[in-house]
Amino acid sequence: MIFRIILLAVTWVVLMALAGGEFLISGIHMALPDRPLVLLPAGLMVLIVVLVFMRLPRAPLIARGFALVAIFWLILLLGLGSMDALTRNFWWVQGYGGR
Amino acid sequence: MADSPPPTGSVLTVPPEFQYGSIFRQGEAAITGMWLFLAQECLFFGGLFLSWIYCRYWNIAGFDAGSADAQVWIGSINTGILVTSSFVYAMALACIQGGRVRFMTILLGVVAALGIAFLCLKGYEWHLDFADHTWVLDPDFKVKGALEGGAKLFWSFYWISTVLHAAHMTVGIGLVAYVIMCARQGRFSATYHTPVEVVGIYWSFVDVVWLILWPLIYLIGRAS
Repeated sequence: MIFRIILLAVTWVVLMALAGGEFLISGIHMALPDRPLVLLPAGLMVLIVVLVFMRLPRAPLIARGFALVAIFWLILLLGLGSMDALTRNFWWVQGYGGR
Repeated sequence: MADSPPPTGSVLTVPPEFQYGSIFRQGEAAITGMWLFLAQECLFFGGLFLSWIYCRYWNIAGFDAGSADAQVWIGSINTGILVTSSFVYAMALACIQGGRVRFMTILLGVVAALGIAFLCLKGYEWHLDFADHTWVLDPDFKVKGALEGGAKLFWSFYWISTVLHAAHMTVGIGLVAYVIMCARQGRFSATYHTPVEVVGIYWSFVDVVWLILWPLIYLIGRAS
């Protein structure tokens, strides 16, 4: 039990450090394409919470399957949902636009 | 559950419901059910995140103008509160698995108090936001001109997502209070504590949602 409490305490320290790092990174001026970098520490924090605090590796096999399916659904939802916005090209057509 | 150490405190024998062969199987089913529930919650919040991606993509300047007025210090303190509450809950689970019911009850009280502190800060933040004219239906909406439309989209996302998250927090606090009540009635032991584990998974999930909302609302706009 002592080992587990130490693991939890270290996890909490790491999470708080990541949160602090994320906050500091967000204070740096970034070019538009680089701004999603702010989400990287958040993604890492989510992973740590799911693995350590939610104890996913110790969950029943089918529960782990549900977690994987949830990630798959999210990839489909966010990937397909944002595909149009992220891949659309605009072409200037001369003489179009009311003039 | 499966990795529970031998009981060191009171040993409580709980018969399983009729459809389960053992209390262990019943616990597995409960935990699996919670993960299935959370899988659909991912889709629920996923739609919200997709709306953020889509609306922000077409209104980046307006989103940044709206985000500049968000109370980043309250959002950041709340992040620390939620991460700490998940940590304390995990400690409480470790306690009950070691048979320490009283320690678990105290720690769960701390978790509930942290959750209430989160909601109080969130309420104060909403009060500041209202006073700052960021309510999207306010005729004196703070951002004017070309960026007004994008800023209103940002604040629509803000209000919907924070209210939904606060609703989940409220449910979580109620569940933690229920677990505390059951613990005080002597219904949990080192051998049986499935509700403690199931509610803990839900509580950490609410934490996970906030860990994503925090950068979307407060931080990405700061980097502009």
